[in-house]
Amino acid sequence: MSQQRYSQQNPNSMPNRDQPKAPEQIEYICGDCGAKTALKANEAIRCKECGHRVLYKPRTHRIVRIYPLEN
Amino acid sequence: MAITFDPLSPSLASSSNSKKSTFHTLTRETAFRHPSLTESEIPALDELVRPHISSFDALVEDESGKGLLQVGVDDIGEKVVFDLKGNDEQKPFGSKISYRIDRVALSKPLVPERDKLAVERRIFPSEARERLTSYRSRLTVNIRWTYEGEDGTTREHEEIRECGLLPVMVRSVRCNLRDLPAADLIKHGEESSSFGGYFVVNGNEKIIRYLVVPRRHHPLNLYRPSFAKRGVSYTPYGCQIRCVRPDQSACTNTIHYLSNGGATLRFAWRKVEYMIPLALILKALVDASDKEVFEGLVQGEYDNTFLTDRVELLLRGQKTWGLHTGAQCLDYLGEKFRVVLNCPEDWPNVRVGGFLLNKVVLVHLPQPRDKFRMLIFMLRKLYSLVSGASCPDNPDSPQHHEVLLPGFLYGMIIKERFDECLNSVKAQIQQDLRQNKANFSNPRYFTSVLTKTNWDIGGKLAYFLATGNLVSPTGLDLQQTSGYTIVAEKLNFYRYLAHFRCIHRGAFFAELKTTTVRKLLPESWGFLCPVHTPDGSPCGLLNHLSHTCKIITSPLDVSALPSLLLAHGMTQPFASTIDGRRMVVVQLDGRIIGYASPAKSKTLANLLRRLKTEGDKRVPLDLEIGYVPVTKGGQYPGLYLFASRSRMMRPVTYLENGKLDHVGSFEQVYMDVACTQGEIERGVSTHVELDPTSMLSVIANLTPFSDFNQSPRNMYQCQMGKQSMGTPSTALSKRTDNKMYRLQSGQTPVVRPELHNHYGFDNFPNGTNAIVAVISYTGYDMEDAMILNKSAHERGFGYGTIYKSDIFDLRDAAGATRTSQPTLHFGIGRDVKADHAWRSFISQDGLPRIGTRIKSGDPLAAYTDDVTGRTKVHKYKGDEECFVDEVRLLGSDNGDSELQKIHIKLRIPRSPVIGDKFSSRHGQKGVCSQKFPAIDMPFTESGMQPDVIINPHAFPSRMTIGMFVESIAGKAGALHGIAQDATPFRFSDSDRPTEYFGEQLLAAGYNYHGNEPMYSGITGQEFSADIYIGLVYYQRLRHMVNDKFQVRTTGPVDPLTRQPVKGRKRAGGIRFGEMERDALIAHGTSFLLQDRLMNCSDYSTAWVCRRCGSLISLGFDELAGGENGGGEYCRVCDADQVKKNDTGVVVRAKGTKGKKGVMDVIAVPCEFLFLFCLNLS
Repeated sequence: MSQQRYSQQNPNSMPNRDQPKAPEQIEYICGDCGAKTALKANEAIRCKECGHRVLYKPRTHRIVRIYPLEN
Repeated sequence: MAITFDPLSPSLASSSNSKKSTFHTLTRETAFRHPSLTESEIPALDELVRPHISSFDALVEDESGKGLLQVGVDDIGEKVVFDLKGNDEQKPFGSKISYRIDRVALSKPLVPERDKLAVERRIFPSEARERLTSYRSRLTVNIRWTYEGEDGTTREHEEIRECGLLPVMVRSVRCNLRDLPAADLIKHGEESSSFGGYFVVNGNEKIIRYLVVPRRHHPLNLYRPSFAKRGVSYTPYGCQIRCVRPDQSACTNTIHYLSNGGATLRFAWRKVEYMIPLALILKALVDASDKEVFEGLVQGEYDNTFLTDRVELLLRGQKTWGLHTGAQCLDYLGEKFRVVLNCPEDWPNVRVGGFLLNKVVLVHLPQPRDKFRMLIFMLRKLYSLVSGASCPDNPDSPQHHEVLLPGFLYGMIIKERFDECLNSVKAQIQQDLRQNKANFSNPRYFTSVLTKTNWDIGGKLAYFLATGNLVSPTGLDLQQTSGYTIVAEKLNFYRYLAHFRCIHRGAFFAELKTTTVRKLLPESWGFLCPVHTPDGSPCGLLNHLSHTCKIITSPLDVSALPSLLLAHGMTQPFASTIDGRRMVVVQLDGRIIGYASPAKSKTLANLLRRLKTEGDKRVPLDLEIGYVPVTKGGQYPGLYLFASRSRMMRPVTYLENGKLDHVGSFEQVYMDVACTQGEIERGVSTHVELDPTSMLSVIANLTPFSDFNQSPRNMYQCQMGKQSMGTPSTALSKRTDNKMYRLQSGQTPVVRPELHNHYGFDNFPNGTNAIVAVISYTGYDMEDAMILNKSAHERGFGYGTIYKSDIFDLRDAAGATRTSQPTLHFGIGRDVKADHAWRSFISQDGLPRIGTRIKSGDPLAAYTDDVTGRTKVHKYKGDEECFVDEVRLLGSDNGDSELQKIHIKLRIPRSPVIGDKFSSRHGQKGVCSQKFPAIDMPFTESGMQPDVIINPHAFPSRMTIGMFVESIAGKAGALHGIAQDATPFRFSDSDRPTEYFGEQLLAAGYNYHGNEPMYSGITGQEFSADIYIGLVYYQRLRHMVNDKFQVRTTGPVDPLTRQPVKGRKRAGGIRFGEMERDALIAHGTSFLLQDRLMNCSDYSTAWVCRRCGSLISLGFDELAGGENGGGEYCRVCDADQVKKNDTGVVVRAKGTKGKKGVMDVIAVPCEFLFLFCLNLS
């Protein structure tokens, strides 16, 4: 199944994937307050809002295909 | 229990309660949606770990306002250094610096000052867990030091010294989660029912395990043959007492009985043992005259010649020393111990001697007179043991045990580290003095010494918690140096909770050949669970506290007790009328407070018990009143009162007034506690248990109907409950455990004991309710195998997940530099093309995409190297397919460094497969042997199919009747929609569970006995027997074939022997050993033998000479050989032809060329060649 057909089947309209995407800018989620923080390369790990020192990577926006497991 | 059952209102007949829902589903949902804003969710759980937390709390605060740490540094006292430059007669040692730790302060965990950006200044345990650091706070001390110059000038200074970051117990008084209600706990990344009691060290939850130690302040008569080996004239008799200072550090004194009538006192100082004649100490303590010692020991028993003879010998022996007065004795002791004790140079010998007695002899008693009386008592007790009037005490009995509590041990270690720091300051000054660098008069000199010495106490304690190793110059009066801490694994809630209630006998006893220490003694009734101990090597050494057992952590106010007893007829300890034959001792916490006749002491004991149960202020409820009656050759009599900490106590009902009483393990031995109301014997029983289940631990209590099972089965269940896949935590997204097992489809059991609700086990389901048919159906349920219904499996029966952590730190990666500026950075560099395979796993930031499926060898993280400019990846090393569940970016303590460490949580789905292990709650474990399609499963008349089929042979020998009862109770509960109470000891012979649940089944229209006609799923025929089918709660155990299977045909081999390597991790083989070989030989299966030992192992070939049979005579002639080889010849048989050639080049006779020579190829094990050739060469 190609990605093209997949998006057509989807009843919830999704942004057109053919448009050139901006380079991935990942906004990390703060482990304390939940605010989103964009990090530049070599930037210190901390939340912009509360200064917390643990950040989570958000779930990818890419389509992750679900495969049946072997067992 | 009502036997009649009304199906219209089933809950009325149910024993649990009369609420509408007996499962409390909605109550629980409300509690989850709206966690309490004022209190913790399950207070009973907090109660279970209270000893951990309150013992830690005692370190920093106390009722008197003084924490144990403060008491400890006060006990260390002042250290003194002289510069030894004095030439004055009055000050021969020159100027002096004396210093001491004045105050200790422990803060709460806070963000460092340097971090200006953090809004929340407090640090919470969840952050320490997530960032894989320790949960710790600042420890500071206030050092006060005085300079006293030669000229008499005195200056006093005060200084604050940081002692590093000390790991802090979670939910203790120095934790930021202290007393937070459920809602706030959730807000700070905890579970709603988090109870603390552990430390977080490097992201792991560490517990200091309870340890059994001898009961404090009670002299123990010992008979140990090893005592006799201590020296000339030593005998196996001794009397030992473990004394505890106010700061909870201990010191053991032993009095040895010598065959020459004398006695010596043994103690240890900095791990070295010393023996001092007891008479010397008695004299030194109170300047006692010989008459005083004699009268004290004989106590009016002048006609007891056994006693008088020994006392006489003791006193005569003393004469040989020529020390007659107390001062002489002190002077003598001081002279001998001056160097050992490291006392200030200006102290006279007498003061050093006094210091010694103060530091090591009966340290719990501050008054020398009390020490004297206690030593006299111990000697009398020892003499009575030698004469046979009393028996040796059993040091393995819980009667003489108490618990080493985590906080107290922690405080002892900290105190010792403080002492070490102060000593190292002294050593530093003395080193400076030798190098002539010390300048005492300069106020800055001492400060510079302080900065030169290492004060990182926090780091030392973090090491202790992380490894469990005790590094100590004194040994802390403990028998082991390692194994103090354990990781609180959150495998499931059973296991987690059990960690906090376990109590270990000591590593020393684990190596002991004798098994007497492992015995289950009647003295432990109600304190230690008889069921909950592992089988195997730690059996009986690793016990668990019963769920009602409490440990006293705060000192009790017993100041009014002596006067109360005196007022009721006790004789003063100094009275001249004390008669050893008619009176027994009255002791309070190892201090002799008086004497009384046996009858009087019994009335005193009864009086105290009445007062304490009635809430008299002078007699606290947790006072232990150990009345030991006079017996013939039994325990040494007396009235022993205990009000100290660390004792085990448990609640029972006092029959005299029906009030609550707390009894301890010492006094319980001489009491009659009835188990149930029906067992009360008039005139004999004094107490009755609150509930017969009080003797069981929390985990043992959760086995339903455990009173119907054979006892070993209940032990097995205690083990298996702790190994089952369940719900490890309700805050899964905040956890970073190395491995977590999770059951996706956990259910609340239909059949559960009362305590299940009491301790909130519904928050952490541990298994699934399964319809179980007991039937031998096909051969797939033989030998404890169980057949799973495939449809049940597809509905999610036992579906589980494993979470694994992959921690990747760039600082540990190859190419990392140890400088402040890192050269490795997360991210994909420009050298990786846009369509590179890595990019489907890893996004631009170098971290894996969440939700990606990862196979073995796939990249998990990418990083670039500044030096080479290349991009490298960190790969997934596991074998199994998994998914990226969470990716955590871990910052530094100050939040000022770039990304260097990540935590990846991987999720491995584990649906049940053939070979996975399951068990019911009755020690009935089995392996899934087949997943039968639903159409092949047998069915009942109502169309019901079992989820699980087990074989009837699982029952006769194991006698787990509890499982039958659970099955029938579960069936009735499911039919009526009620939770069944499965608390043990609720049914009896006159009120049988089969009747009770049978009525329920009848009311639901089912067979009274739980049997049903069933039909074969394959033929459709009715079975000739009715099948017992019901509902049983099944646990899925964490042992799964996917972690265990080990098969190979070919694979890695050992480079030397070329045999397959061993070990599952390295894809090795299973050893086909000698005995297996014997079996094949015996069966004559030579082909199989050849296959196993040769073809699948180190098969190799070698050339052999047919003529001489040599394996090592192979020669090769390149010229002689043709197209198809054949240049081989034997260097032994054809030796003459070889020699002919002068050049040494091998030339073979022409005659054999082209034909097959004498050499042949044979199959030989490589190992044979290796050994063979090794021997010859």
